[in-house]
Amino acid sequence: MLEVRLGSYRRALGEVLVELGRELRDLVVLDADTPKSTGSIAFAEAFPERFINVGISEQDLVSMAAGLAIGGKVPVATAFAAFLMRAWEQVRNTVARMGLNVKLVGTHAGLSAHLDGASHQVLEDVALMRALPNTTVIAPADAEAVKELIRQAVTGVRGPTYVRLGRDNAIPVYRRGEVRNLRVGHVNVIEDGEDAVIFAHGPMVGVALAAARILKHSEGLSVGVVDAHTIQPLDSDAVVKLAKRANLAVTLEEHRPVGGLGSAVAEVLTSSKVSTPLLRLGVGKAFGASARSYWDLLRYAGLSPEEVARRVGGALT
Amino acid sequence: MPWHVESSLSAINIIAALYGFWVPAGVREGIERLVVISKGHCSLALYSWLVEVGVLSDAELRTFATPSSRLQAHPEAGRVPGVITSTGSLGQGLSIANGLAMAARLDGIRREVAVLLGDGELDEGQVWEAAATAATLRLDNVVAVVDRNGFQHTGRTEEVKVKEPLRSRWEAFGWHVIEVRQDVGRIAAALEEASRIVGKPVAVIVISDGGA
Repeated sequence: MLEVRLGSYRRALGEVLVELGRELRDLVVLDADTPKSTGSIAFAEAFPERFINVGISEQDLVSMAAGLAIGGKVPVATAFAAFLMRAWEQVRNTVARMGLNVKLVGTHAGLSAHLDGASHQVLEDVALMRALPNTTVIAPADAEAVKELIRQAVTGVRGPTYVRLGRDNAIPVYRRGEVRNLRVGHVNVIEDGEDAVIFAHGPMVGVALAAARILKHSEGLSVGVVDAHTIQPLDSDAVVKLAKRANLAVTLEEHRPVGGLGSAVAEVLTSSKVSTPLLRLGVGKAFGASARSYWDLLRYAGLSPEEVARRVGGALT
Repeated sequence: MPWHVESSLSAINIIAALYGFWVPAGVREGIERLVVISKGHCSLALYSWLVEVGVLSDAELRTFATPSSRLQAHPEAGRVPGVITSTGSLGQGLSIANGLAMAARLDGIRREVAVLLGDGELDEGQVWEAAATAATLRLDNVVAVVDRNGFQHTGRTEEVKVKEPLRSRWEAFGWHVIEVRQDVGRIAAALEEASRIVGKPVAVIVISDGGA
Protein backbone atom coordinates (compact mmCIF):
# COMPACT_ATOMS: atom_id res chain seq x y z
CA MET A 1 0.00 0.00 0.00
CA LEU A 2 1.16 3.46 -0.90
CA GLU A 3 1.45 5.40 2.36
CA VAL A 4 3.18 8.62 1.38
CA ARG A 5 3.27 11.89 3.25
CA LEU A 6 0.25 13.78 1.97
CA GLY A 7 0.19 17.43 1.01
CA SER A 8 -2.67 19.75 1.86
CA TYR A 9 -4.94 21.13 -0.84
CA ARG A 10 -6.47 23.65 1.53
CA ARG A 11 -3.18 24.98 2.86
CA ALA A 12 -2.06 25.47 -0.74
CA LEU A 13 -5.33 27.27 -1.45
CA GLY A 14 -4.73 29.69 1.41
CA GLU A 15 -1.18 30.35 0.27
CA VAL A 16 -2.06 31.07 -3.33
CA LEU A 17 -4.99 33.30 -2.34
CA VAL A 18 -2.64 35.43 -0.23
CA GLU A 19 -0.16 35.66 -3.10
CA LEU A 20 -2.91 36.66 -5.52
CA GLY A 21 -4.35 39.10 -2.99
CA ARG A 22 -1.03 40.95 -2.98
CA GLU A 23 -1.02 41.16 -6.76
CA LEU A 24 -4.68 41.87 -7.49
CA ARG A 25 -6.41 44.71 -5.69
CA ASP A 26 -9.79 43.57 -7.00
CA LEU A 27 -9.58 40.06 -5.56
CA VAL A 28 -12.27 39.47 -2.93
CA VAL A 29 -12.66 36.18 -1.07
CA LEU A 30 -15.98 34.99 0.36
CA ASP A 31 -16.60 31.96 2.54
CA ALA A 32 -19.64 30.37 4.17
CA ASP A 33 -18.29 30.27 7.72
CA THR A 34 -15.66 27.65 6.93
CA PRO A 35 -12.47 29.72 6.41
CA LYS A 36 -10.56 27.66 8.97
CA SER A 37 -11.51 24.49 7.13
CA THR A 38 -11.16 25.64 3.51
CA GLY A 39 -7.88 27.49 4.09
CA SER A 40 -9.29 30.89 3.12
CA ILE A 41 -8.51 32.00 6.69
CA ALA A 42 -5.01 32.86 5.43
CA PHE A 43 -6.51 35.44 3.06
CA ALA A 44 -8.90 36.66 5.77
CA GLU A 45 -5.96 37.39 8.06
CA ALA A 46 -3.87 39.06 5.37
CA PHE A 47 -6.67 41.12 3.83
CA PRO A 48 -9.54 41.39 6.33
CA GLU A 49 -11.21 44.24 4.41
CA ARG A 50 -11.43 42.09 1.28
CA PHE A 51 -12.73 38.99 3.02
CA ILE A 52 -16.45 38.40 3.56
CA ASN A 53 -17.80 35.64 5.76
CA VAL A 54 -21.47 35.39 4.77
CA GLY A 55 -22.20 32.82 7.46
CA ILE A 56 -23.59 29.36 6.86
CA SER A 57 -25.46 30.27 3.70
CA GLU A 58 -24.07 28.94 0.45
CA GLN A 59 -26.84 30.34 -1.74
CA ASP A 60 -26.15 33.84 -0.45
CA LEU A 61 -22.43 33.15 -0.93
CA VAL A 62 -22.76 32.44 -4.65
CA SER A 63 -25.22 35.22 -5.47
CA MET A 64 -23.25 37.81 -3.50
CA ALA A 65 -20.12 36.75 -5.37
CA ALA A 66 -22.13 37.33 -8.55
CA GLY A 67 -22.98 40.87 -7.41
CA LEU A 68 -19.33 41.57 -6.66
CA ALA A 69 -18.38 40.33 -10.14
CA ILE A 70 -20.99 42.58 -11.77
CA GLY A 71 -19.47 45.37 -9.69
CA GLY A 72 -16.05 44.74 -11.25
CA LYS A 73 -14.46 42.65 -8.51
CA VAL A 74 -12.81 39.24 -8.93
CA PRO A 75 -14.62 37.15 -6.33
CA VAL A 76 -13.37 33.77 -5.15
CA ALA A 77 -16.01 31.90 -3.14
CA THR A 78 -14.70 29.07 -1.01
CA ALA A 79 -16.85 26.45 0.69
CA PHE A 80 -17.13 22.71 1.22
CA ALA A 81 -17.81 21.32 -2.25
CA ALA A 82 -20.72 19.23 -0.99
CA PHE A 83 -22.55 22.29 0.31
CA LEU A 84 -21.56 24.60 -2.51
CA MET A 85 -23.68 22.25 -4.64
CA ARG A 86 -26.84 23.38 -2.82
CA ALA A 87 -26.27 26.64 -4.68
CA TRP A 88 -26.06 24.91 -8.06
CA GLU A 89 -29.17 26.71 -9.19
CA GLN A 90 -27.63 30.06 -8.23
CA VAL A 91 -24.55 29.12 -10.22
CA ARG A 92 -26.71 28.19 -13.20
CA ASN A 93 -29.18 31.06 -13.20
CA THR A 94 -26.96 33.92 -12.14
CA VAL A 95 -23.28 33.07 -12.62
CA ALA A 96 -23.36 30.88 -15.74
CA ARG A 97 -26.30 32.60 -17.43
CA MET A 98 -24.54 35.95 -17.22
CA GLY A 99 -21.10 34.42 -17.81
CA LEU A 100 -19.80 36.15 -14.69
CA ASN A 101 -16.17 36.00 -13.67
CA VAL A 102 -16.84 34.18 -10.42
CA LYS A 103 -14.37 31.61 -9.10
CA LEU A 104 -15.95 28.87 -7.01
CA VAL A 105 -13.60 26.68 -5.01
CA GLY A 106 -15.11 23.57 -3.46
CA THR A 107 -12.90 21.94 -0.86
CA HIS A 108 -13.28 18.56 0.91
CA ALA A 109 -14.49 17.09 -2.40
CA GLY A 110 -14.51 13.41 -3.24
CA LEU A 111 -13.53 11.14 -0.37
CA SER A 112 -11.16 13.61 1.27
CA ALA A 113 -13.38 14.30 4.28
CA HIS A 114 -12.82 10.67 5.18
CA LEU A 115 -14.09 10.91 8.73
CA ASP A 116 -17.23 12.95 7.99
CA GLY A 117 -18.86 10.30 5.85
CA ALA A 118 -21.51 10.38 3.13
CA SER A 119 -22.94 13.85 3.90
CA HIS A 120 -19.64 15.60 3.20
CA GLN A 121 -18.17 13.36 0.52
CA VAL A 122 -19.52 14.85 -2.69
CA LEU A 123 -19.19 12.45 -5.62
CA GLU A 124 -21.42 14.26 -8.12
CA ASP A 125 -20.04 17.81 -8.28
CA VAL A 126 -18.04 17.39 -11.49
CA ALA A 127 -21.17 16.10 -13.24
CA LEU A 128 -23.24 19.00 -11.96
CA MET A 129 -20.75 21.72 -12.83
CA ARG A 130 -19.76 20.18 -16.15
CA ALA A 131 -23.38 20.31 -17.27
CA LEU A 132 -23.32 24.11 -17.11
CA PRO A 133 -22.51 26.19 -20.20
CA ASN A 134 -19.58 28.64 -20.11
CA THR A 135 -18.16 26.96 -17.01
CA THR A 136 -14.57 25.81 -16.59
CA VAL A 137 -14.09 22.82 -14.27
CA ILE A 138 -10.64 22.14 -12.81
CA ALA A 139 -9.39 19.52 -10.33
CA PRO A 140 -5.68 19.99 -9.47
CA ALA A 141 -3.65 16.87 -8.70
CA ASP A 142 -1.62 18.03 -5.73
CA ALA A 143 -0.72 21.04 -3.60
CA GLU A 144 1.75 22.44 -6.13
CA ALA A 145 -0.83 22.08 -8.89
CA VAL A 146 -3.40 23.91 -6.72
CA LYS A 147 -1.16 26.96 -6.57
CA GLU A 148 -0.49 26.99 -10.30
CA LEU A 149 -4.00 26.19 -11.53
CA ILE A 150 -5.80 28.54 -9.13
CA ARG A 151 -3.42 31.27 -10.22
CA GLN A 152 -4.30 30.54 -13.86
CA ALA A 153 -8.02 30.29 -13.06
CA VAL A 154 -7.97 33.74 -11.43
CA THR A 155 -5.62 35.54 -13.78
CA GLY A 156 -6.13 33.71 -17.08
CA VAL A 157 -9.69 32.40 -17.25
CA ARG A 158 -12.53 34.86 -17.82
CA GLY A 159 -15.89 33.54 -16.73
CA PRO A 160 -17.41 31.02 -14.35
CA THR A 161 -14.90 28.55 -12.95
CA TYR A 162 -15.27 25.68 -10.52
CA VAL A 163 -12.12 24.38 -8.85
CA ARG A 164 -12.51 21.05 -7.09
CA LEU A 165 -10.15 20.42 -4.20
CA GLY A 166 -9.72 17.73 -1.60
CA ARG A 167 -8.76 18.44 2.00
CA ASP A 168 -5.38 17.16 3.19
CA ASN A 169 -5.20 14.16 0.88
CA ALA A 170 -2.93 15.62 -1.79
CA ILE A 171 -0.73 12.74 -2.95
CA PRO A 172 2.45 14.48 -4.15
CA VAL A 173 2.80 14.38 -7.94
CA TYR A 174 4.76 17.45 -8.95
CA ARG A 175 7.93 19.04 -7.71
CA ARG A 176 7.99 22.79 -7.44
CA GLY A 177 8.67 24.23 -10.87
CA GLU A 178 7.24 21.23 -12.71
CA VAL A 179 3.76 22.68 -12.46
CA ARG A 180 4.73 25.48 -14.83
CA ASN A 181 3.98 22.97 -17.60
CA LEU A 182 0.34 22.83 -16.55
CA ARG A 183 -2.11 24.80 -18.66
CA VAL A 184 -5.81 25.12 -17.96
CA GLY A 185 -7.59 23.40 -20.83
CA HIS A 186 -4.70 21.07 -21.65
CA VAL A 187 -3.89 17.63 -20.30
CA ASN A 188 -0.42 16.97 -18.92
CA VAL A 189 1.18 13.67 -19.87
CA ILE A 190 3.20 12.57 -16.84
CA GLU A 191 4.20 9.11 -18.07
CA ASP A 192 3.94 7.51 -21.49
CA GLY A 193 2.74 3.92 -21.92
CA GLU A 194 1.51 1.71 -24.73
CA ASP A 195 -0.52 -0.94 -22.94
CA ALA A 196 -2.91 1.42 -21.22
CA VAL A 197 -3.32 5.12 -20.58
CA ILE A 198 -4.96 6.38 -17.40
CA PHE A 199 -6.66 9.80 -17.44
CA ALA A 200 -7.12 11.04 -13.88
CA HIS A 201 -7.84 14.22 -11.92
CA GLY A 202 -7.25 15.35 -8.37
CA PRO A 203 -5.64 12.88 -5.94
CA MET A 204 -6.31 10.04 -8.38
CA VAL A 205 -3.35 11.24 -10.46
CA GLY A 206 -1.09 10.11 -7.63
CA VAL A 207 -3.00 6.85 -7.32
CA ALA A 208 -2.70 6.28 -11.08
CA LEU A 209 1.08 6.74 -10.89
CA ALA A 210 1.28 4.23 -8.05
CA ALA A 211 -0.94 1.75 -9.91
CA ALA A 212 1.20 2.13 -13.04
CA ARG A 213 4.31 1.28 -11.01
CA ILE A 214 2.63 -1.81 -9.58
CA LEU A 215 1.64 -2.98 -13.08
CA LYS A 216 5.15 -2.37 -14.40
CA HIS A 217 6.85 -4.34 -11.63
CA SER A 218 4.34 -7.17 -11.27
CA GLU A 219 3.27 -7.70 -14.88
CA GLY A 220 5.75 -5.78 -16.97
CA LEU A 221 3.01 -3.58 -18.37
CA SER A 222 3.63 -0.11 -19.71
CA VAL A 223 0.88 2.19 -18.43
CA GLY A 224 0.75 5.90 -19.21
CA VAL A 225 -0.58 8.46 -16.75
CA VAL A 226 -2.23 11.70 -17.83
CA ASP A 227 -3.24 14.54 -15.51
CA ALA A 228 -6.62 15.61 -16.92
CA HIS A 229 -6.99 18.47 -14.44
CA THR A 230 -9.31 20.46 -16.70
CA ILE A 231 -12.46 18.41 -17.12
CA GLN A 232 -14.25 21.23 -18.91
CA PRO A 233 -13.32 22.26 -21.51
CA LEU A 234 -11.75 18.85 -22.03
CA ASP A 235 -8.57 18.70 -24.12
CA SER A 236 -10.41 16.52 -26.67
CA ASP A 237 -7.72 16.37 -29.34
CA ALA A 238 -5.08 15.18 -26.88
CA VAL A 239 -7.46 12.69 -25.26
CA VAL A 240 -8.29 11.16 -28.67
CA LYS A 241 -4.63 11.01 -29.70
CA LEU A 242 -3.49 9.41 -26.44
CA ALA A 243 -6.37 6.92 -26.35
CA LYS A 244 -5.70 5.83 -29.96
CA ARG A 245 -2.07 5.00 -29.12
CA ALA A 246 -2.99 2.64 -26.25
CA ASN A 247 -4.70 -0.76 -26.08
CA LEU A 248 -6.88 0.42 -23.22
CA ALA A 249 -8.04 3.83 -22.06
CA VAL A 250 -8.87 4.26 -18.39
CA THR A 251 -10.47 7.11 -16.50
CA LEU A 252 -9.90 7.33 -12.77
CA GLU A 253 -11.59 9.78 -10.44
CA GLU A 254 -12.84 10.27 -6.90
CA HIS A 255 -16.34 10.76 -8.23
CA ARG A 256 -19.28 8.64 -9.26
CA PRO A 257 -18.59 6.87 -12.53
CA VAL A 258 -21.49 8.86 -13.98
CA GLY A 259 -21.13 12.38 -15.35
CA GLY A 260 -17.51 13.08 -14.46
CA LEU A 261 -14.26 12.73 -16.38
CA GLY A 262 -15.21 9.18 -17.37
CA SER A 263 -18.32 10.44 -19.11
CA ALA A 264 -16.48 13.36 -20.68
CA VAL A 265 -13.82 11.06 -22.14
CA ALA A 266 -16.47 8.55 -23.29
CA GLU A 267 -18.32 11.34 -25.11
CA VAL A 268 -15.17 12.44 -26.92
CA LEU A 269 -14.01 8.94 -27.85
CA THR A 270 -17.47 7.97 -29.10
CA SER A 271 -17.90 11.00 -31.30
CA SER A 272 -14.36 10.62 -32.65
CA LYS A 273 -14.98 6.92 -33.46
CA VAL A 274 -12.03 5.76 -31.39
CA SER A 275 -12.22 1.98 -30.98
CA THR A 276 -9.91 1.72 -27.96
CA PRO A 277 -11.90 0.15 -25.11
CA LEU A 278 -12.57 2.48 -22.17
CA LEU A 279 -12.55 1.42 -18.53
CA ARG A 280 -14.21 4.02 -16.31
CA LEU A 281 -13.12 3.80 -12.68
CA GLY A 282 -14.75 5.87 -9.96
CA VAL A 283 -16.13 5.43 -6.49
CA GLY A 284 -17.75 2.01 -6.54
CA LYS A 285 -20.41 2.90 -3.96
CA ALA A 286 -23.49 5.09 -4.23
CA PHE A 287 -22.39 7.21 -1.26
CA GLY A 288 -19.25 7.52 0.82
CA ALA A 289 -18.77 6.41 4.41
CA SER A 290 -16.83 7.37 7.52
CA ALA A 291 -13.32 5.96 7.75
CA ARG A 292 -10.44 6.44 10.16
CA SER A 293 -8.01 7.19 7.36
CA TYR A 294 -8.11 8.35 3.76
CA TRP A 295 -6.39 5.14 2.68
CA ASP A 296 -9.04 3.01 4.41
CA LEU A 297 -11.71 4.89 2.51
CA LEU A 298 -9.90 4.46 -0.82
CA ARG A 299 -9.83 0.70 -0.21
CA TYR A 300 -13.55 0.73 0.64
CA ALA A 301 -14.30 2.67 -2.56
CA GLY A 302 -12.16 0.42 -4.75
CA LEU A 303 -9.71 3.23 -5.50
CA SER A 304 -6.53 2.09 -3.75
CA PRO A 305 -3.51 1.76 -6.06
CA GLU A 306 -3.61 -2.04 -5.65
CA GLU A 307 -7.28 -2.24 -6.59
CA VAL A 308 -6.82 0.12 -9.54
CA ALA A 309 -3.81 -1.96 -10.72
CA ARG A 310 -5.86 -5.14 -10.38
CA ARG A 311 -8.74 -3.79 -12.45
CA VAL A 312 -6.55 -2.24 -15.15
CA GLY A 313 -4.44 -5.42 -15.33
CA GLY A 314 -7.63 -7.49 -15.52
CA ALA A 315 -8.98 -5.44 -18.39
CA LEU A 316 -5.75 -5.97 -20.35
CA THR A 317 -5.76 -9.76 -20.15
CA MET B 1 -50.88 35.79 -23.93
CA PRO B 2 -51.25 35.64 -20.14
CA TRP B 3 -48.00 36.76 -18.48
CA HIS B 4 -48.04 37.84 -14.82
CA VAL B 5 -50.16 40.89 -15.55
CA GLU B 6 -51.24 41.43 -11.93
CA SER B 7 -47.66 41.16 -10.74
CA SER B 8 -46.60 43.75 -13.29
CA LEU B 9 -49.48 46.07 -12.42
CA SER B 10 -48.51 46.18 -8.74
CA ALA B 11 -44.89 46.82 -9.75
CA ILE B 12 -45.50 49.61 -12.28
CA ASN B 13 -45.59 52.46 -9.76
CA ILE B 14 -42.41 51.11 -8.17
CA ILE B 15 -40.68 50.86 -11.55
CA ALA B 16 -41.74 54.43 -12.35
CA ALA B 17 -40.49 55.71 -8.99
CA LEU B 18 -37.18 53.87 -9.29
CA TYR B 19 -36.33 54.63 -12.90
CA GLY B 20 -38.26 57.89 -13.26
CA PHE B 21 -37.23 59.64 -10.04
CA TRP B 22 -34.73 57.75 -7.89
CA VAL B 23 -32.11 56.95 -10.56
CA PRO B 24 -32.17 60.43 -12.22
CA ALA B 25 -32.00 62.15 -8.81
CA GLY B 26 -28.92 60.08 -8.09
CA VAL B 27 -27.31 61.23 -11.32
CA ARG B 28 -27.88 64.86 -10.25
CA GLU B 29 -26.29 64.19 -6.86
CA GLY B 30 -23.35 62.17 -8.19
CA ILE B 31 -24.67 58.89 -6.78
CA GLU B 32 -24.66 55.82 -9.01
CA ARG B 33 -28.05 54.20 -8.43
CA LEU B 34 -28.61 50.67 -9.70
CA VAL B 35 -31.78 48.60 -9.80
CA VAL B 36 -31.95 44.82 -9.44
CA ILE B 37 -35.33 43.44 -10.47
CA SER B 38 -35.41 40.31 -8.37
CA LYS B 39 -39.06 39.58 -9.22
CA GLY B 40 -38.17 39.20 -12.88
CA HIS B 41 -41.66 38.11 -13.83
CA CYS B 42 -42.78 41.75 -13.67
CA SER B 43 -40.84 42.37 -16.89
CA LEU B 44 -43.94 43.77 -18.62
CA ALA B 45 -43.99 46.64 -16.12
CA LEU B 46 -40.37 47.48 -16.94
CA TYR B 47 -40.77 47.15 -20.70
CA SER B 48 -43.98 49.22 -20.66
CA TRP B 49 -42.17 51.90 -18.69
CA LEU B 50 -39.34 51.91 -21.21
CA VAL B 51 -41.90 52.40 -23.99
CA GLU B 52 -43.52 55.20 -21.99
CA VAL B 53 -40.22 57.08 -21.74
CA GLY B 54 -39.27 56.43 -25.36
CA VAL B 55 -36.40 54.00 -24.81
CA LEU B 56 -38.29 51.16 -26.51
CA SER B 57 -40.76 51.38 -29.37
CA ASP B 58 -44.29 50.00 -29.43
CA ALA B 59 -43.21 47.77 -32.29
CA GLU B 60 -40.40 46.27 -30.25
CA LEU B 61 -42.70 45.69 -27.29
CA ARG B 62 -44.76 43.51 -29.60
CA THR B 63 -41.72 41.20 -29.98
CA PHE B 64 -42.01 40.42 -26.24
CA ALA B 65 -41.28 36.78 -25.41
CA THR B 66 -40.17 35.70 -28.86
CA PRO B 67 -36.88 33.80 -29.12
CA SER B 68 -34.74 36.42 -30.83
CA SER B 69 -36.24 39.42 -29.01
CA ARG B 70 -34.21 41.13 -26.34
CA LEU B 71 -37.46 41.47 -24.42
CA GLN B 72 -37.42 38.04 -22.85
CA ALA B 73 -40.21 37.05 -20.47
CA HIS B 74 -37.67 37.26 -17.66
CA PRO B 75 -35.18 40.12 -18.18
CA GLU B 76 -31.72 39.38 -19.51
CA ALA B 77 -28.79 41.50 -18.34
CA GLY B 78 -27.05 43.66 -20.92
CA ARG B 79 -29.82 43.36 -23.49
CA VAL B 80 -32.32 45.85 -22.10
CA PRO B 81 -31.37 49.35 -20.88
CA GLY B 82 -31.42 49.53 -17.10
CA VAL B 83 -31.24 45.76 -16.60
CA ILE B 84 -27.96 44.80 -14.94
CA THR B 85 -28.90 41.31 -13.74
CA SER B 86 -30.59 38.37 -15.43
CA THR B 87 -33.38 37.27 -13.15
CA GLY B 88 -36.35 34.95 -13.17
CA SER B 89 -35.29 32.61 -10.41
CA LEU B 90 -36.72 34.14 -7.25
CA GLY B 91 -34.74 34.87 -4.11
CA GLN B 92 -31.35 35.80 -5.52
CA GLY B 93 -31.64 39.55 -6.11
CA LEU B 94 -30.94 40.78 -2.60
CA SER B 95 -27.69 38.78 -2.40
CA ILE B 96 -26.64 40.23 -5.76
CA ALA B 97 -27.51 43.75 -4.56
CA ASN B 98 -25.38 43.20 -1.46
CA GLY B 99 -22.45 42.18 -3.68
CA LEU B 100 -22.83 45.33 -5.79
CA ALA B 101 -23.06 47.45 -2.66
CA MET B 102 -19.99 45.82 -1.14
CA ALA B 103 -18.00 46.29 -4.37
CA ALA B 104 -18.79 50.02 -4.18
CA ARG B 105 -17.67 50.20 -0.56
CA LEU B 106 -14.35 48.54 -1.44
CA ASP B 107 -13.85 50.90 -4.38
CA GLY B 108 -14.92 54.00 -2.46
CA ILE B 109 -17.69 54.69 -4.98
CA ARG B 110 -20.97 56.43 -4.09
CA ARG B 111 -23.42 53.75 -5.18
CA GLU B 112 -26.88 52.79 -3.97
CA VAL B 113 -28.58 49.59 -5.01
CA ALA B 114 -32.34 49.06 -4.97
CA VAL B 115 -33.74 45.58 -5.29
CA LEU B 116 -37.36 44.94 -6.20
CA LEU B 117 -38.72 41.91 -4.35
CA GLY B 118 -42.13 40.31 -4.61
CA ASP B 119 -43.94 39.51 -1.38
CA GLY B 120 -44.39 35.90 -2.48
CA GLU B 121 -40.67 35.82 -3.20
CA LEU B 122 -40.07 36.28 0.52
CA ASP B 123 -40.86 32.56 0.89
CA GLU B 124 -37.37 31.91 -0.49
CA GLY B 125 -34.97 31.31 2.39
CA GLN B 126 -32.13 33.00 0.53
CA VAL B 127 -33.87 36.38 0.89
CA TRP B 128 -33.42 36.10 4.64
CA GLU B 129 -29.84 34.86 4.34
CA ALA B 130 -29.16 38.03 2.37
CA ALA B 131 -31.19 40.23 4.73
CA ALA B 132 -28.97 39.08 7.59
CA THR B 133 -25.83 39.65 5.52
CA ALA B 134 -26.84 43.24 4.66
CA ALA B 135 -27.52 44.00 8.33
CA THR B 136 -24.27 42.38 9.47
CA LEU B 137 -22.24 44.38 6.94
CA ARG B 138 -24.31 47.53 7.68
CA LEU B 139 -24.97 48.01 3.98
CA ASP B 140 -26.87 51.27 4.22
CA ASN B 141 -26.54 51.68 0.46
CA VAL B 142 -28.98 48.80 -0.10
CA VAL B 143 -32.73 49.37 -0.27
CA ALA B 144 -35.14 46.46 -0.64
CA VAL B 145 -38.44 47.49 -2.20
CA VAL B 146 -41.08 44.92 -1.33
CA ASP B 147 -44.09 44.81 -3.65
CA ARG B 148 -46.66 43.90 -0.99
CA ASN B 149 -49.58 43.13 -3.29
CA GLY B 150 -50.86 40.35 -1.05
CA PHE B 151 -50.97 37.65 -3.69
CA GLN B 152 -48.69 34.95 -4.95
CA HIS B 153 -49.11 32.24 -7.54
CA THR B 154 -51.62 30.05 -5.74
CA GLY B 155 -53.56 32.73 -3.90
CA ARG B 156 -53.40 35.12 -0.95
CA THR B 157 -49.92 35.26 0.52
CA GLU B 158 -51.10 34.66 4.08
CA GLU B 159 -52.90 31.50 3.03
CA VAL B 160 -49.94 30.08 1.11
CA LYS B 161 -47.20 30.91 3.60
CA VAL B 162 -47.45 33.50 6.33
CA LYS B 163 -45.53 36.74 5.74
CA GLU B 164 -46.89 38.89 8.57
CA PRO B 165 -45.91 40.66 10.66
CA LEU B 166 -43.82 41.77 7.70
CA ARG B 167 -42.57 45.06 9.10
CA SER B 168 -41.39 43.43 12.32
CA ARG B 169 -39.69 40.66 10.38
CA TRP B 170 -37.48 43.12 8.52
CA GLU B 171 -36.91 45.11 11.70
CA ALA B 172 -35.96 41.93 13.55
CA PHE B 173 -33.34 41.33 10.88
CA GLY B 174 -31.82 44.73 11.65
CA TRP B 175 -33.39 46.75 8.85
CA HIS B 176 -34.94 50.20 8.91
CA VAL B 177 -38.48 49.91 7.50
CA ILE B 178 -40.62 52.45 5.65
CA GLU B 179 -44.19 51.50 4.71
CA VAL B 180 -45.90 53.31 1.88
CA ARG B 181 -49.14 53.00 -0.12
CA GLN B 182 -49.23 52.53 -3.89
CA ASP B 183 -48.46 55.99 -5.29
CA VAL B 184 -45.51 56.98 -7.46
CA GLY B 185 -44.81 60.22 -5.58
CA ARG B 186 -44.98 58.57 -2.16
CA ILE B 187 -42.77 55.68 -3.27
CA ALA B 188 -40.23 58.14 -4.71
CA ALA B 189 -40.27 60.09 -1.44
CA ALA B 190 -39.77 56.88 0.56
CA LEU B 191 -36.80 55.98 -1.62
CA GLU B 192 -35.22 59.39 -0.98
CA GLU B 193 -35.83 58.94 2.73
CA ALA B 194 -34.19 55.51 2.51
CA SER B 195 -31.12 57.11 0.96
CA ARG B 196 -30.65 59.28 4.07
CA ILE B 197 -30.70 56.39 6.57
CA VAL B 198 -27.20 55.71 7.86
CA GLY B 199 -25.81 52.47 9.27
CA LYS B 200 -28.65 50.16 8.28
CA PRO B 201 -30.14 48.74 5.11
CA VAL B 202 -33.68 49.95 4.41
CA ALA B 203 -36.81 48.06 3.37
CA VAL B 204 -39.52 50.05 1.63
CA ILE B 205 -42.74 48.03 1.80
CA VAL B 206 -45.18 49.16 -0.89
CA ILE B 207 -48.69 48.09 0.12
CA SER B 208 -51.40 47.66 -2.53
CA ASP B 209 -55.02 48.47 -1.73
CA GLY B 210 -56.97 45.27 -1.41
CA GLY B 211 -53.71 43.50 -0.77
CA ALA B 212 -52.44 42.55 2.64
